Amino acid sequence: MTLLSVTDLTVTFDGFTAVDSASFTIEPGETLGVVGESGSGKSVTALSIMRLVEMGTRAKITRGRVELKMQDGSTLDLLGQDEPTMRSIRGNQIAMIFQEPLTSLNPVYPVGEQIAEAVRIHEGSDKKTSMARAREMFDLVRIPEADKRIGQYPHEMSGGMRQRVMIAIGLCCGPRLLIADEPTTALDVTIQAQILGLIKQLQVETGTAMMLITHDMGVIAEVADRVVVMSQSKIVEQGPVDQIFHSPREAYTRGLLSAVPKLGSMAGHDGPRPFNLAGDLA
Amino acid sequence: MTSQSNGQSPVVEVQGVSKQFPADHNARVHAVTDVSLHIDHGETLAVVGESGCGKSTLANLIIRLHDADQGRILLKGVDITDLKPREMRAHRQTLQIIFQDPFASLDPRVRVGASVAEPLRVHKVATKEEATDRVRHLFELVGLERSMLNNYPHQFSGGQRQRVCIARALALKPELVIADEAVSALDVSVQAQVMNLMLELQQEMGLSYLFISHDLAVVERIAHRVAVMYLGQIIELGSREQVFRDPRHSYTKRLLGAVPIADPRQRTERPLLTGEIPSPVWPAGEGPELVTYTEVEPGHQVADE
Ligand SMILES: Nc1ncnc2c1ncn2[C@@H]1O[C@H](COP(=O)(O)OP(=O)(O)OP(=O)(O)O)[C@@H](O)[C@H]1O
Ligand SMILES: Nc1ncnc2c1ncn2[C@@H]1O[C@H](COP(=O)(O)OP(=O)(O)OP(=O)(O)O)[C@@H](O)[C@H]1O
Ligand SMILES: [Mg+2]
Ligand SMILES: [Mg+2]
Repeated sequence: MTLLSVTDLTVTFDGFTAVDSASFTIEPGETLGVVGESGSGKSVTALSIMRLVEMGTRAKITRGRVELKMQDGSTLDLLGQDEPTMRSIRGNQIAMIFQEPLTSLNPVYPVGEQIAEAVRIHEGSDKKTSMARAREMFDLVRIPEADKRIGQYPHEMSGGMRQRVMIAIGLCCGPRLLIADEPTTALDVTIQAQILGLIKQLQVETGTAMMLITHDMGVIAEVADRVVVMSQSKIVEQGPVDQIFHSPREAYTRGLLSAVPKLGSMAGHDGPRPFNLAGDLA
Repeated sequence: MTSQSNGQSPVVEVQGVSKQFPADHNARVHAVTDVSLHIDHGETLAVVGESGCGKSTLANLIIRLHDADQGRILLKGVDITDLKPREMRAHRQTLQIIFQDPFASLDPRVRVGASVAEPLRVHKVATKEEATDRVRHLFELVGLERSMLNNYPHQFSGGQRQRVCIARALALKPELVIADEAVSALDVSVQAQVMNLMLELQQEMGLSYLFISHDLAVVERIAHRVAVMYLGQIIELGSREQVFRDPRHSYTKRLLGAVPIADPRQRTERPLLTGEIPSPVWPAGEGPELVTYTEVEPGHQVADE
């Protein structure tokens, strides 16, 4: 039973096609990795599913369907829904962790408030319960001393802490689908492992599916079940993670994989060394 | 830790710098504690470490966005510790920064082409035509289409915006660039292109970099020396070879051991961490113990555990 089915999605900005006929599906509990060129339409695809792409921009979804399987077994095409319906979907069914945390957190509210508010909207719980839940989330995403941090404002946190606050907001509502757009770019590898483990745990416990957009091929290799590869507004290849890494069909995918810098590549070299450009090996 | 390899002052020298911020309940965040380091002409010093360990604060101290509580900062031998922000402007041609958050560092109402050209105009280093030419050229070098020069910041993807900031920092041909997670939103191909550009500029013009990054494979590739920070202090500092081939501090080892491998056939199970989370927050009047170092090899300093 497919959870989300995107068919022929096409999005334009003033005549420029940012996403061109994208089709893919996400199964319950599955992690779909989305990789590819910077500017190829990954975030626009995610924002289109959330129906946030047209807000305050000249974007137009010109074609396609985004079908979400509801709990009662019915199917809803999100592209045909009005804003109130979408708002309830965003709170309860699909959560999104945005690429740039500083711009999506409210600068004038303490971070603890912002997590608690998400909990309140979702669970209808009172102030005390939701603040306790926010504190718990701080511990889970490894932000120390919740009591002394919970009243801080976004600008008082490090880049990676802000990112973890966003993740806490995304996770606290127990969504059926989590869309995570570059969620770990500001995290060191030890905390990144913790966050990915936390999401995995949630997936096992509640069957949450994840669409994970990232440039980090190590992260994809570690957590994705299937992978979608985008280049120049199009999906150029998709398949199981092992197939994408070990028998990629498209030249673009091969170039991308060959450009991944590997730890240990400098043994025996002194001084910095230029990178292989994709295509060098092609 | 001063070095004067070629008789010149280091491009930047940080001497025993500390910075605290207030937190709730009368507590203080000890963001940076007694950090000393220097960067030579043409050198890349990478700073790595746990999220929240003080890397961006260190960068902000060097550009004088924050006042240091303690310590001195020297730019090409000149003490800039007490300069007013206005007086710092004179040093913008020496020192440029690429902030961790690209969106927040671009003016939403200014077309990006103008944003990149602005420093050139302010510093009168180029005529209007020269500035336009140079900006176009830089856009090309970081892989952005010329037509995008007229766009506003919100019309870009995350990685495109990051490249605008890189172009802006390089436009003035500075001597030191502080790059705070500057390539984290780029796919590996574009990242390779941008990093190669940065390496070329270093070769040609002796540019120095303070390169803050969580991507250890990139750091290994481009750093001359590496500083590892933990809870506001440097816990290991050495040449790239020393730190990557022979890490001594337990945190450095843990960090290098946690790098995911880009091969789904080599997945590793990592148990979730629970219990006490190390913290730089201290009650007023208290603070962390200062680390002491042992020089295990020439140039390789390791905090005693
Ligand atoms: N508001 C907007 N107005 C005009 N063009 C836009 C807007 N938002 C995005 N675009 C364009 O749409 C294309 C796709 O952008 P998108 O943000 O989806 O890229 P991305 O794949 O997420 O890239 P990155 O990896 O750099 O984040 C880009 O060329 C971008 O310039
Ligand atoms: N303006 C501020 N007010 C209060 N606390 C601050 C402020 N700026 C930074 N801090 C605190 O200082 C500490 C160090 O933050 P910093 O941004 O330097 O970390 P970082 O190493 O850059 O982390 P990341 O890798 O997550 O970006 C954090 O605990 C942070 O909350
Ligand atoms: Mg994006
Ligand atoms: Mg930072």
